[in-house]
Amino acid sequence: MLESLTSLFYGFTIALQPHNLFYCFIGVTMGTLVGVLPGIGPTATIALLLPATFTLNPISAIIMLSGICYGAMYGGSTTSILLNLPGEASSVVTCFDGYQMARQGRAGAALGISAFGSFIAGTFSVFGLILLAPTLADFAVRFGPPEYFALMVMGLTVVAYLARKSMAKALMMAILGILLGCIGLDPITATPRFTFGMLELADGIGIAPVVMGLFGIAEVLENLGVLGKADVFAEKIKGLFPNREDWKRSIGPLARGSLLGFFLGLLPGVGAIVPQFLSYALEKKLSRHPERFGNGAIEGVAAPEACNNAAVGGTFIPLLSLGIPSTAMTAILLGALMIYGLTPGPLLIKNSPDLFWGVIASMYLGNLMLLILNLPLIPLWVRVLKIPYSYLSCFIILFCLIGAYSLNNSTTDIYVAVVFSLVGLLLKKFSFEPAPLVLAFVLGPLLETALRRSLILSDGSVLIFLQRPISAAFILFSVVVLVAPLFSQIRLGRGLSEED
Amino acid sequence: MKKTRTITAGAGALFWVAVGLLACYGASRLGLGSITDPGAGFIFFWSGLVLVILALVVLAESIRSSEDATRGTGQLNWTKIALVLLSLVLYAFFLERLGFVLTTFVLLSFLLGCIEDTNWIKSLGTAGAAALVSYAVFELWLEIRLPKGFFGF
Repeated sequence: MLESLTSLFYGFTIALQPHNLFYCFIGVTMGTLVGVLPGIGPTATIALLLPATFTLNPISAIIMLSGICYGAMYGGSTTSILLNLPGEASSVVTCFDGYQMARQGRAGAALGISAFGSFIAGTFSVFGLILLAPTLADFAVRFGPPEYFALMVMGLTVVAYLARKSMAKALMMAILGILLGCIGLDPITATPRFTFGMLELADGIGIAPVVMGLFGIAEVLENLGVLGKADVFAEKIKGLFPNREDWKRSIGPLARGSLLGFFLGLLPGVGAIVPQFLSYALEKKLSRHPERFGNGAIEGVAAPEACNNAAVGGTFIPLLSLGIPSTAMTAILLGALMIYGLTPGPLLIKNSPDLFWGVIASMYLGNLMLLILNLPLIPLWVRVLKIPYSYLSCFIILFCLIGAYSLNNSTTDIYVAVVFSLVGLLLKKFSFEPAPLVLAFVLGPLLETALRRSLILSDGSVLIFLQRPISAAFILFSVVVLVAPLFSQIRLGRGLSEED
Repeated sequence: MKKTRTITAGAGALFWVAVGLLACYGASRLGLGSITDPGAGFIFFWSGLVLVILALVVLAESIRSSEDATRGTGQLNWTKIALVLLSLVLYAFFLERLGFVLTTFVLLSFLLGCIEDTNWIKSLGTAGAAALVSYAVFELWLEIRLPKGFFGF
């Protein structure tokens, strides 16, 4: 504990350096902006800003990119409350009561509690990260290829289980992701695989153009001619500081939302969306007046907002301590770490303490910046929301194209982004979710290497995954997750889609 | 209605089965290796096989279900989508030949003027400003090398 605190102070000396503070500010501001704007999310934003970070040192770059992740959670709530339209998928639940509060003239209190709640939860998750990540990394040093393989299988299974529509379709997306992710030179024999003689494919398909196509351009194509000028809540927003009664009602939900979000965010594959729904359902269940939910209950804003912020902190733990991303957003961050020449995994904390502790300290500072800046900036975000979507959509496309091209200075990446935008659109049209694809795309090569090494290690015995206790536990959990829906009509993700 | 849905589901499943089988075929050409020493095609083969099985599961699900599988999005404007995709392919083709500023200006003018039906004067003004500002930000400030083309910008 004392060691962690000392390391955290060391982290603050890094995060407080002026250039790191500047990039943290840029990250949280960009995050809030994309959170506010419907049509582009943090995953695509991180991907398109990735090339711009190549001239920075890796610490500043990761500080900025992680700022986008948690900044987007703050921004998403603004659109949910003022427009009844979630700026981010993880802000859907905030619409239920946030917009009702706005209609009752309490938009200020809703925005206020959402900002304070996000700050409290963000702070909680930073401390959780400090306590848990190093411990988990120490534990994970003992992981061999079988444990890694089993953990990745568990992550992909959980993602499929939490799919809002068909679990089989989500698993198909995960398999497609593995297939696409493994294109390129074989990691062991260097044989070109599915490159069709194209040199550009020898290093595999880049994650950035794939994400920009799937999440950036595809979103614009889907909304062509649909979204016009946003109908923003017109009344003047006042009373951003929640009153004593608001705090009394919100303090319990804030604490429960933070705990739930953080611990669920730790699980590979869960992300920030599911915990938000669960936290809302929990508060409704615990409330003496559940009928107030959906009609402007402040608890219905406080709990999910705290929850989605804490969950983002939670998702950083498997990323930084195991090198395993649990969401599409952290999958891009993993890709970024690799591009910067860092090896994500249990040794990251030991080998690059300045990066690990610097980023954690910056997350605390970033949350503080968001709290201080966001409330006064709400009128600015409202004005941003009034920009017609026709302009925004063109700029989103332009940034995606620049982002795709500049990664390798190659127009092939633009073609890849265009192809994946069509793929993304068709997947949506036929109710396939793209998130498992992206996660498996990043995990695919790691999963393949772990599988092949495990088999070489065990002389071809697949029982190796069951003979080692940790991997056996992961595999058992995956099997339970896969089999459970066969015996029960209730599946978490499916339930969420109905509420959605 | 049910018949159309079944045909759509069948066509979808057939597509995924084909993808899975192609992966298996390509994998077998790469060499599967053995279980003690997996080869370059090992992961592709097994993934392809699982994809085929899952495609059949999805087909069975769609036949049994009363939900329409093509309800994932609202009404899509396919003509506009095709035009945008074509313009992006042309953008990629001309980017290194004509340079960033000119190609971007033409693309944005087209997207704003033709696709989004914005007033032409506004479209041209916005496209010009956006092309120049993004060039300044990315090329000059962030030092990202953007293609110059034969005009030199």
